[in-house]
Amino acid sequence: MIEKEESIISEEEAAQYDRQIRLWGLDAQKRLRGSRVLLVGLRGLGAEVAKNLILAGVKGLTLLDHEQVTEESCRAQFLIPVTAQGQNRAQASLERAQYLNPMVEVKADTDRVETKPDKFFLQFEAVCLTGCSRDLMVRVDQLCAQHNIKVFCGDVFGYHGYMFSDLGQEHNYVEEKPKVVKPKTDESNDGPEAKKPKVDPNETTMIKKTASFCSLKVALEVDWTNEKAKSSLKRTPVDYFLLHVLLKFRTDKGRDPHPESFEADATLLRQIRDDVLEAMGLSSELLPHDFVSYCFSEMAPVCAVVGGVLGQEVVKVGCQLPSLSSPIPGLETGTHRQQPPSKHRYPSLHKSCGSCSARGSTTPSLRASDV
Amino acid sequence: MVTLQLVGSLRKELADSLSTCRVLVVGAGGIGCELLKNVVLTGFKNIEVIDLDIIDVSNLNRQFLFQKKHVGKSKAQVAKETVLQFCPTANITAYHDSIMNPDYNVEFFRNFMLVMNALDNRVARNHVNRMCLAADIPLIESGTAGYLGQVTVIKKGLTECYECQPKPTQKTFPGCTIRNTPSEPIHCIVWAKYLFNQLFGEEDADQEVSPDTADPELSWNPADTEARATASDQDGDIKRVSTKDWARSTGYDPVKLFNKLFKDDIQYLLTMDKLWKKRKAPLPLDWLEHQKLTCPQGVTGTGLKDQQVLGVAGYCQLFSRSVETLHFMLVDKGDGAEELIWMGNCDDPPAMDFVTAAANLRMYIFSMNMKSRFDIKSMAGNIIPAIATTNAVIAGLIVLEALKILSGDVKQCRTGKFDSRNGELFSKLM
Repeated sequence: MIEKEESIISEEEAAQYDRQIRLWGLDAQKRLRGSRVLLVGLRGLGAEVAKNLILAGVKGLTLLDHEQVTEESCRAQFLIPVTAQGQNRAQASLERAQYLNPMVEVKADTDRVETKPDKFFLQFEAVCLTGCSRDLMVRVDQLCAQHNIKVFCGDVFGYHGYMFSDLGQEHNYVEEKPKVVKPKTDESNDGPEAKKPKVDPNETTMIKKTASFCSLKVALEVDWTNEKAKSSLKRTPVDYFLLHVLLKFRTDKGRDPHPESFEADATLLRQIRDDVLEAMGLSSELLPHDFVSYCFSEMAPVCAVVGGVLGQEVVKVGCQLPSLSSPIPGLETGTHRQQPPSKHRYPSLHKSCGSCSARGSTTPSLRASDV
Repeated sequence: MVTLQLVGSLRKELADSLSTCRVLVVGAGGIGCELLKNVVLTGFKNIEVIDLDIIDVSNLNRQFLFQKKHVGKSKAQVAKETVLQFCPTANITAYHDSIMNPDYNVEFFRNFMLVMNALDNRVARNHVNRMCLAADIPLIESGTAGYLGQVTVIKKGLTECYECQPKPTQKTFPGCTIRNTPSEPIHCIVWAKYLFNQLFGEEDADQEVSPDTADPELSWNPADTEARATASDQDGDIKRVSTKDWARSTGYDPVKLFNKLFKDDIQYLLTMDKLWKKRKAPLPLDWLEHQKLTCPQGVTGTGLKDQQVLGVAGYCQLFSRSVETLHFMLVDKGDGAEELIWMGNCDDPPAMDFVTAAANLRMYIFSMNMKSRFDIKSMAGNIIPAIATTNAVIAGLIVLEALKILSGDVKQCRTGKFDSRNGELFSKLM
């Protein structure tokens, strides 16, 4: 019986996954082992996400990329052999990706993601998009939301990175809180004593929660001319606007800024900045003049950080992990050149993008229709 | 307008500086593999990596430079070989050695622009900290455990060093708790580890397992306690003969060992009635009685075999089998080597079986719920759960700090703390 097969974990898996089973439990590992994930884009960030998901032990990972290997892509990631120039990027990454964990079914698909029909995406539990155009991300996000498929997007532009997650309108999760152990007189559990109450880190209670995620479309289409939105502007990181600029560049040029055409691309980036901010009714000084120097190519350590966070988010969903705290709601942007001396998450962004109500917060949040 | 030249994402001056300087990576494990990959892809050309360990199958869920076929080989060596496959132009020197080897003196450290730690123990961290202070080289310190990770920069004259803040010490338990009045499973597990060393390993005077007649609880009068202690030495009590010698004299007979440890010694403890006035008294076990009970048949359910809790009869059998196996291994080693070494976090089945069985039998005697081999291994082997993603993020942050140092931006360096359960990254300026 198929069910019985899936519920047994082999000795080999137990030995290999030992250190993570001790962290998130055997049941979570089994659930992860049943999930199929699509990963689009095998540049630096894509390779990191692929590694993290394959090591974690998903059932299957499809690598989708239509681009060819160039000299630059060999230097940018660790899955492509140096002799693979001219080959398709997904194909070239396949062998080393498979070596990371022979127990995962890794496949390469060389089609353009734009040409894939809707039903292609429906075979996966989670979809992870890197290096994709804004229009495609919005389309896939809307499509997957209807079918309860989780969508994750991420990119790295030089020193900057962002990730977006959409876990649906009604994402149920469970939050773990340490339990206060009250003394019991008739217990002969772990020891004959323990009369005093203490917080036992091994004993927790689970609290069910629901979070609602806004779509990428809504997150990006905030109307900044509105008074309410303007007041949250101070708390919105500059990177949010940088993302708009870079996504527009990608749509207009069909590629990302390239060091080889630095002068021309820098000029275009500044122009796009002016246009984008003006259309939003905002000052172009919001993005300082030298912003162009830090958003070319993909910085390997930034790929590692974004890939790690993104990878863990996908794993959490695949595991349906009950023992984790809430998923990161919405859109996160960050620059690793100068980190602000505060938390990296930006709650204001959630308020401005609409219906996020994670952690059962009682503060009224703006709804998309209000903005 | 100044013309900016980029090499990839980096300004040319920074890229040039990366390709000429030498860096040292200490450790090629969880953080180390990720770090080496980042360092090479970022553009560092001259890298030295050192690790004393060999590859184990439990490393493969996160130490991605290694495959199953590499199990048993040197981590530093295999890491170098794998990295060269995707970056053949990197100049990597690998050392299968301990960083605490005196060959790696202050002069050695002075060769480097920067040292990055990817260690898993305090002793080595203290050592590298001191070497970097002595050589006046910046050190990037880091650590991960499960979902949590941290990165810090240490620079002489600018920041506090690794040893400036007192670190919490390893928890130890009083001898009388381990030997007389265990109240938690960990006490029984520590006792079982001590027993392993007494019987098969290196005997240690601080790791006694027999009843402690000098237990302060036995008497209110310190002089009285001392009198008891010397009295017991004189009347040929258990302490006089070493546990190993006694075991040898019985030929490591499992039944004799069992009855001494789990019956005779417990009966002796019961005579120390002061201990049991407010505590539940231990129940001695008898080998023959438990032979009559049947063992659980095979593995039930869909869990891991190691997560099963066997009954008392099961642990009696396991104790007996593991004593025989370990004795055989000891004899097999020959005359010169008289010791087996406890390797907690390697999967050394007979040693772990022994500790599982002995600890559980003691837990049963002292009315505690018994634990599975899986749980005992965690506690006995000091195993820290680990995943790839936490290491990936921390290793990324390490390189970002390294770039600040190389750009001359040391003042921009930060201490970062990461929690991969919710992606929270806290950082503050040094």
